[in-house]
Amino acid sequence: MSKRTLCKFFMHGACLKGDYCEFSHDWRDQANNICTFYQKGVCSYGSRCRYEHVKVSRIQSSGPSSSNSHPHVTSESHQVSHPPIVSLPRAYDPGLSTSVDVSTLSSAHGFPFTSAWTNNFDADTSFIDEIGSYPAYVTDADRPICSFAAAGNCPHGERCPHIHGDLCSICGKHCLHPFRPDEREDHIKMCQKNNKHLESLKFSQEIECSVCLDRVLSKSKPAERKFGLLSECDHPFCISCIRNWRSNSPSSGMDVNSALRACPMCRKLSYFVIPSVIWYSTKEEKQEIVESYKNKLKSIDCKYFDFGNGTCPFGSSCFYKHAYRDGRLEEVVLRHLDAEDGSTVIAKDIRFYIICSLSIHLVYHELYIALAD
Amino acid sequence: MFDVSRVQKELTECNRDKAISGVSIALYEGGSDLSHLRGTITGPVSTPYEGGTFLIDIQLPSGYPFEPPKMQFITKVWHPNISSQNGAICLDILKDQWSPALTLKTALVSLQALLSAPEPDDPQDAVVAKQYLQEYPTFVATARYWTEAFARTSVAIEEKVRRLVEMGFPEDLVKSTLDSVNGDENLALEKLCSS
Repeated sequence: MSKRTLCKFFMHGACLKGDYCEFSHDWRDQANNICTFYQKGVCSYGSRCRYEHVKVSRIQSSGPSSSNSHPHVTSESHQVSHPPIVSLPRAYDPGLSTSVDVSTLSSAHGFPFTSAWTNNFDADTSFIDEIGSYPAYVTDADRPICSFAAAGNCPHGERCPHIHGDLCSICGKHCLHPFRPDEREDHIKMCQKNNKHLESLKFSQEIECSVCLDRVLSKSKPAERKFGLLSECDHPFCISCIRNWRSNSPSSGMDVNSALRACPMCRKLSYFVIPSVIWYSTKEEKQEIVESYKNKLKSIDCKYFDFGNGTCPFGSSCFYKHAYRDGRLEEVVLRHLDAEDGSTVIAKDIRFYIICSLSIHLVYHELYIALAD
Repeated sequence: MFDVSRVQKELTECNRDKAISGVSIALYEGGSDLSHLRGTITGPVSTPYEGGTFLIDIQLPSGYPFEPPKMQFITKVWHPNISSQNGAICLDILKDQWSPALTLKTALVSLQALLSAPEPDDPQDAVVAKQYLQEYPTFVATARYWTEAFARTSVAIEEKVRRLVEMGFPEDLVKSTLDSVNGDENLALEKLCSS
């Protein structure tokens, strides 16, 4: 049940549990927007509370709320109204631990079984509240990572019920889960990616636009702090300068095809400009920027095509989405045919029999050549 | 309005190495209008223009640098691509081949290059171009004469400055005063004495 509720931490981009979170990390799921404090009758935010103040007959979350990394805060909501159902043999098997529903496991606190760390921890009664609803985790992999330690300092030190992560050498935080290899890998990958982005951002700071002679990322207006990449060459410009130049009216005397579409530096013709916050240092990086830009545009409906009601002057080479209201994509109907005078014509609305007659014609033609030989 | 910060940058950049490049830019008549400038180029060596200093009137359109600057020779010059009447210049980068990556300095350097490599097939002044193609020695002689007659004034100005400084006036004041009276030494002296 709880799997279908959207994780509040995930919503804010800050869930440390990743795949192990008992709440859903799928944006399509509904978030639980009911204020838990209001249920208890005391919400200090009153009408300013961002959560809904409605009375529900029974609090839905029988499992821990996603905020249970600090159990002493929200522990009251952990009261279970039904006896916990846990298949013990399954829960004890560490090999199966990942498939075990954590929400049922965590309500297993009434069981005689306690892991080694809870024994050590029993002494600290200030930490476990009077209800004693502290969830017992069966394997180390089930124990969530301590967010205090990840941020730098855990007040509970050695006696913390949560696992203290290993140091990530890239971000310098103790946020690598020692027993969840997948999560570790994901985190390191993400860190490396962020690091790379920061590096290229640093490198991009120095790049000057050849038109306004300013450093692109230090322009006065934030909207102008963006590069305009040309598809065919590698000269840097700020997006506003290059767009300004390309949108210059032909009446100003400049030739559209030889001057305005060309790079101001090398005069190589480029047919489109790609906005980017960072400047690239390799061909692959440029390719990546271009591809992600094109993919983004492909998800936006073309305003000229207008769901089939209009016509787009760019036709099949348009970067935007050409789809009808029912989601069906426009079929590309353009075909190039060799006309009799040797030039290439673009055939619209071509029919099957035309192709048939053409191929028959070709077969005859080949036969004729074979006979002549 | 044109890009003021770019023009200011261009001016400092251009005047930094004017001794080497032989081109410089100043505000027109010592005014304060950034859209009206005066460029100076030295005549390229081993051409009829050697030894001359040519003044160019530069007007920046509101679309600068997306539109080319309007340039025109103030100094009279005998050249197939420059009007002998009004100093109008026929150069593609000042017209349809302008690029915003070009600067006032590069445009002036291009003018210098134009002086050393005339294009008589695409003339601005038909009379000069005809002479260039048919009577080349006469062309060279005329061009050299025009350079001597009209483009050597600035050398004389240096001389005037030196003389006035010797009289005991500060150099900066002498230069600006000479500028304001278009290089007339006597008028400048009168002004300097009365101020």
